[in-house]
Amino acid sequence: MRNERAFELESITVHYGHARALEDVDLHVAEGEVVALLGDNGAGKSTLLKVMSGAHRPTAGRIHAHGAEVDFRSPKDAAAAGVQMVYQDLALVDAMDIAANLSLGREHVVKGPLGRLGVLDRRRMRKESQAELDALGVRTAPMTRPVELLSGGQRQVVAIARAAARLGERGVLLLDEPTAALGHEQTELVEDLIRALAVKGTAIVIVTHNLPLAMAVSDRVVVLNRGRKVGDIATSLADQDRVVSWITGAAVQGD
Amino acid sequence: MTMTGSVHQLSRSKRLPAKVRGLILVRDQGLLMLWIAIVILFAYLAAPYFFTVATGIAMLNSASIASIYAAGLAVGVMTGVFDLSVPGTAALAGVVTALLLRAGVPVWAAILAGLLIGVLVGIVNALIVIKGFDPLIVTIAMLSVLSGTSLILAGGNNVSGLQGLTFMGTQTYLWIPAPVYIALALFLVLTVFLKTTRAGMRLLAVGGNAEAARRVGIPVSRYRVLGFSISALCAALGGIVTSAYVTTASPGASVSIVFDGMTAVALAGIPFIGGRGSLPRVALGAIVVATISTGLLLTGVQTYWSSIATGVLLVGGLALNMWTSRTATNLLLTGDTGKRAVE
Ligand SMILES: Nc1ncnc2c1ncn2[C@@H]1O[C@H](COP(=O)(O)OP(=O)(O)O)[C@@H](O)[C@H]1O
Ligand SMILES: [Mg+2]
Repeated sequence: MRNERAFELESITVHYGHARALEDVDLHVAEGEVVALLGDNGAGKSTLLKVMSGAHRPTAGRIHAHGAEVDFRSPKDAAAAGVQMVYQDLALVDAMDIAANLSLGREHVVKGPLGRLGVLDRRRMRKESQAELDALGVRTAPMTRPVELLSGGQRQVVAIARAAARLGERGVLLLDEPTAALGHEQTELVEDLIRALAVKGTAIVIVTHNLPLAMAVSDRVVVLNRGRKVGDIATSLADQDRVVSWITGAAVQGD
Repeated sequence: MTMTGSVHQLSRSKRLPAKVRGLILVRDQGLLMLWIAIVILFAYLAAPYFFTVATGIAMLNSASIASIYAAGLAVGVMTGVFDLSVPGTAALAGVVTALLLRAGVPVWAAILAGLLIGVLVGIVNALIVIKGFDPLIVTIAMLSVLSGTSLILAGGNNVSGLQGLTFMGTQTYLWIPAPVYIALALFLVLTVFLKTTRAGMRLLAVGGNAEAARRVGIPVSRYRVLGFSISALCAALGGIVTSAYVTTASPGASVSIVFDGMTAVALAGIPFIGGRGSLPRVALGAIVVATISTGLLLTGVQTYWSSIATGVLLVGGLALNMWTSRTATNLLLTGDTGKRAVE
């Protein structure tokens, strides 16, 4: 059954000293739902993602994951609760191949005494990496291709797949500007990947400046303006011009 | 279960474009071509002395001692560790081993003690650097402390009479001097370690992108300790082999060790930002440096030219490496590979 409240933020407030980055923001995302988080520079999008990923503790507010209240003190806590974040910088190791990047931190060693010496089972790592990408319905490049020799879209796919593989069942995936540096064709590749993950039941929040992407890929759009939520509407009901007026602060929802 | 969306496949996925493959070939094989060119040049310029077995063996010997230091520096650089204390560690390890030998300690125990001192130095370096101090300053300070310590221990004099170490110094096996075998074994072990083990892979990941490693749960500090320890262990080994070769341990730290070692590392195309590099090419880098200095010596050119040639070569190598890598990355990132992607 689809859980309507896979991940829920309630009255989140973040103050940086005197600066008010977020003021009383509510946000929820269901299993299999894609929420696009929109807003101008400085609106508070990154801060909200940091709260969700455990990188920053809110000044006030509550967070629930699958109904249970959680208190993230670090990204590790968030990861344990099934929340993974893909940062804009992707954090891939350029010189390493796709399989190594996907396996890093949970590498397989061979069986037997060599395994106790820490000898890697590269073949198994390649196979599983390939299987993880296949399960998402994307082909990037051979698993042995170094990440530095991938296109921007392929890199993004690897970074998202790495996070997805660590989500487990019913995970929450946070994406910061996943298509910022991509061309049209590559953006489509990432869009399809996001949709494929949603179909598998992953709850997804995307921060983006790219309004067409948000409209194409999301089920719901949430708009922040100067730290406050000014719009939250099903994408099918959203009118692009109105969303733009919320982003710029010319209007708020209900005007 | 079927997926929404089609299976995408970019046309350039399977094979890299010819232009990029060419650039990678130049990047990866340039040093070998350079060395062959240098050998041919000196075989002609310094005939008939250069292209002989004796010269070859002498060159290999000096290259192998230099390459032991270079191996440690290289692993350090790959891990994101810049270790300038190497000459101090080498001097201290040599002196400690020599003093223990003179005190009648068994050879194996004296060598082991020298190597352990190296590891200890590496751990101390790492623990200070992890606190957030600049590695350059920390290891320079360590260099200073270590050379002082070894001078005090040795009473300011060379410790001579290390005949017990001949087996790893001047002794030859099948006409080839012992240091060559030691360097070969070291490179073999380190290469296998970096390429095939989990710790090696994580070490490179920490060097390549520490933030990425941290985010996937790798204890970054522990791998910095490992990187510094390997660097210092190689330094200690180099110090002991050097003492064995000249049957004398010199307490003075010789800073040219770092210069020559870093030259070999840079010639090998290992970027100083870390995360990558091939150790066999570091060995080749050390051989190139040794070839140039031997060749120039035999040509009768003033030795100063040798250091100028090495410096020029170094910058040239760096420039070539940077250019090939950048061009390849740009070609791929923009997708401007001369072919249009077909859906
Ligand atoms: N570490 C910080 N210290 C102080 N102010 C901050 C910090 N991070 C963000 N802010 C402020 O909080 C507000 C929201 O920033 P941010 O979340 O980065 O917005 P967005 O990602 O939507 O551009 C901005 O006014 C910004 O200047
Ligand atoms: Mg931001």
